[in-house]
Amino acid sequence: MDVPYYPINDYEPLIKGLVIGGLGITHVFLAQFAIGGGMLMCYFQWLAQTGRSPVARQFLDGYFKILVLISFVVGALTGVAMWFTTIQVSPRTIGVMVDEFHWVWATEWTFFCLEVVAGYAFYRCGRNLPDRSRMTLLLLYTVGAWFSLFWINGILSWQLTPGQWGEDRSVWSGFFNPSFWPSLIFRTITSLTIASLAACVVINTMTELRRDLRRELINRAAFCLSPMLLMPALGYWYLNVIPPDSRSWVEGGSAAMTMFMGIAVAASLLIGGYALVGLIAQRLYINGATATLLLALAFGATAGGEFVREGVRKPFTVREYLFSNSIRADEVALLREQGSVTADPFPLRNAGIYANEQLRLGAKVYRFQCSICHSMGGVNGLTHLAGTWTTDQKRMNIAKLQNTKPFMPPFAGNAEELEALVQLIEWHAAGMPRTWETTSNATVLAEIRQWLDEAGTESATRREVALIREER
Amino acid sequence: MDRTFPFGFPGATAFYLTIYVLTLVIHVLFMNYVLAGTGYLLFCRWRDGSGSIADRGLRAGDVLRDWMPFALSGAITAGVAPLLFVQILYKENFYTANLLLYHRWMVILPVLIIGFYMLYLLKTQWIERRSALTRGVVTLGALFCFAFTGLSWTENHLLSTDTASWPGLYESGSMVYYHRELLPRLGMWAVGSIPTMALLVAWQLYVLQRSGQEPNELEPRRLALLAVVGIALSVGCAGLYGYQMTSEVRSHVTGVLAGPFLLAGVVGLVIQIVAWLDQGKKTRFCPRALAAGSAGLLLTIIGMTTVREAIRLASIDVTPLYVRHAESAEKGGLYVFLAFFGINAVLVAWAIRLTRSRVVHSAD
Repeated sequence: MDVPYYPINDYEPLIKGLVIGGLGITHVFLAQFAIGGGMLMCYFQWLAQTGRSPVARQFLDGYFKILVLISFVVGALTGVAMWFTTIQVSPRTIGVMVDEFHWVWATEWTFFCLEVVAGYAFYRCGRNLPDRSRMTLLLLYTVGAWFSLFWINGILSWQLTPGQWGEDRSVWSGFFNPSFWPSLIFRTITSLTIASLAACVVINTMTELRRDLRRELINRAAFCLSPMLLMPALGYWYLNVIPPDSRSWVEGGSAAMTMFMGIAVAASLLIGGYALVGLIAQRLYINGATATLLLALAFGATAGGEFVREGVRKPFTVREYLFSNSIRADEVALLREQGSVTADPFPLRNAGIYANEQLRLGAKVYRFQCSICHSMGGVNGLTHLAGTWTTDQKRMNIAKLQNTKPFMPPFAGNAEELEALVQLIEWHAAGMPRTWETTSNATVLAEIRQWLDEAGTESATRREVALIREER
Repeated sequence: MDRTFPFGFPGATAFYLTIYVLTLVIHVLFMNYVLAGTGYLLFCRWRDGSGSIADRGLRAGDVLRDWMPFALSGAITAGVAPLLFVQILYKENFYTANLLLYHRWMVILPVLIIGFYMLYLLKTQWIERRSALTRGVVTLGALFCFAFTGLSWTENHLLSTDTASWPGLYESGSMVYYHRELLPRLGMWAVGSIPTMALLVAWQLYVLQRSGQEPNELEPRRLALLAVVGIALSVGCAGLYGYQMTSEVRSHVTGVLAGPFLLAGVVGLVIQIVAWLDQGKKTRFCPRALAAGSAGLLLTIIGMTTVREAIRLASIDVTPLYVRHAESAEKGGLYVFLAFFGINAVLVAWAIRLTRSRVVHSAD
């Protein structure tokens, strides 16, 4: 079994999760705007060609231009950026995803091509085409865009709920996993919501139209917000199919998860409430500022939802298969035996700053096992998290890491590496002095080994799931 | 390697290599259009700014300005497929090079976004009302963005094959990688993009010519001259690049593995030159000459893209990767991909066909 080693970059004082999270949220928002935009435009084209709305066509052409300028440029490139950033953050995770699902990704690409061609065809020629051709192009665009979501949703939801894939390793077992359908329907409605709110912003910029015409368009766009009524049921469905330990964090087990879930729900409720009272019941006129604010709320809801989706996967990037730190579940035992960084070919970048060899070993262990989610003194910093622990407490808590915090993976190195990591944290906490004593107490190492053995090499998730089921 | 690409490799490896090269060829067509097209636009800015040309009719610059954003979108879309397969074929090499170049690599994304918007800006009436200097700066900015992206890809590619340099480069913290092959290789690809762009624009002008929008009568000759100069320059750069290669790599390129493809590339160049010389004598675009040029171009691009791969295969020991390629090939989904590839190809063709529908609306 060969564990691949990559040259890991230091993001101090930030962490990699923040970078991929920020980019991911932006990309998801823009991509969902493109998907919902297609559906919304089909609706407006239908309004135009059936004579139900005299200005629908005018709005549609303007809206599409904005969609192309934003979604086809920033949306498309942030999609590529997601790939590159995932390589930067966790090359092994993207490697597993590509290995398993490359034909699914290739299939998605064919729909992406359809989306781009149909979109540009409408963008260039739509104004001069008959209604039937316009509608066909918009439908082709929408099919391309929505199926892109369909395929990518299978891969993303597989990460949290691989389902039968865990046993049979079949692509289709993994793709049509337990959270596939609730996630797909939820995202479809989210897409429509974002597109509708963006439409309200665009309509407010059409100052050449009379206010009553703008109002009519806004009410039509707001009609597309009505599927939001299904969101609570879909959210409930989704929460029911995700692993019980992941669900427990959202339900209060993790303050951060619960808070972000709360933000997503509250923002969605605010949008839904405004849509219901103001737009669908037509009690209020929505001006540009309010529409923008609602769109910002939708961004907040997307951000909260994506944070939760990423967060509840911990300690895995692929449930029960690959840990967040890119170590496979079945490699932990081996790495404990041979050492996690013994075979790492990449030297430290600033080896000279460390006071001794043990700290250099600790720095390598930190880089390999911890740096994906932690910094040393910045965001989620180890010196803050473990700062108040005594030295022995650090040794035990890290040795039994999956028991200390169930969303942490097991420590995947030997006792010497663990001691080196503990010393590194203490050295950093002490302000990185020039001299630092090397610890090599055989009793301490024996104790660490015992703790490591007691904790075992499995994650705590299975035990936690059993406990939760027992409680219920 | 004692057999021609890709036959000397096990089935799975050969399959992924072939599909990678084929998808890369499509990407290269779009990429060449954008890179050389932006360069040509800059030339047009300078030429028009100097007031030396005052002729009538459609010109290549008009077409390029109009189609450039779509071409870039096409380049990005077409680039996704080879990006997928390169991860199957050379996962660790590609990922490591990405990580070593770090911010320097990632910066291509905002740079591409800026370049993309500059292309849209070049289409607007707003820019036409600005001074020649402003127009020139925007065009130069776009060219810089794409040239930088090209440089970064070349750097990344060369680094991915130079495994010995990885620990040292990582330790140094440098995000810049220089290799003696970098500039000639980049130069070859950059000037090699000119004939592709010239041919694609010529086809566009021919289509417009057929629809009654007459191109400027000097345009066929200008494009022919441009293409021939591009071919001559790329041959020069290729010679320099070949000179920089180690004898081992050169033997792969000229040997059994890639020799036939190199020959195909050269034959393609000859066909292109003949076709352009024929086209250059005419004042209107001639489909026969353009078709011959297209055949030559395709031969050259397929040949050179395969040679590019052979150079990589000479630098990386792929033997240990055979097992992983075989494992990847066992994953399901190929038939679903093929089915949707076919369906979506038809739908794409339908979408293009729809744009030819009769105009009925003119109210707005």
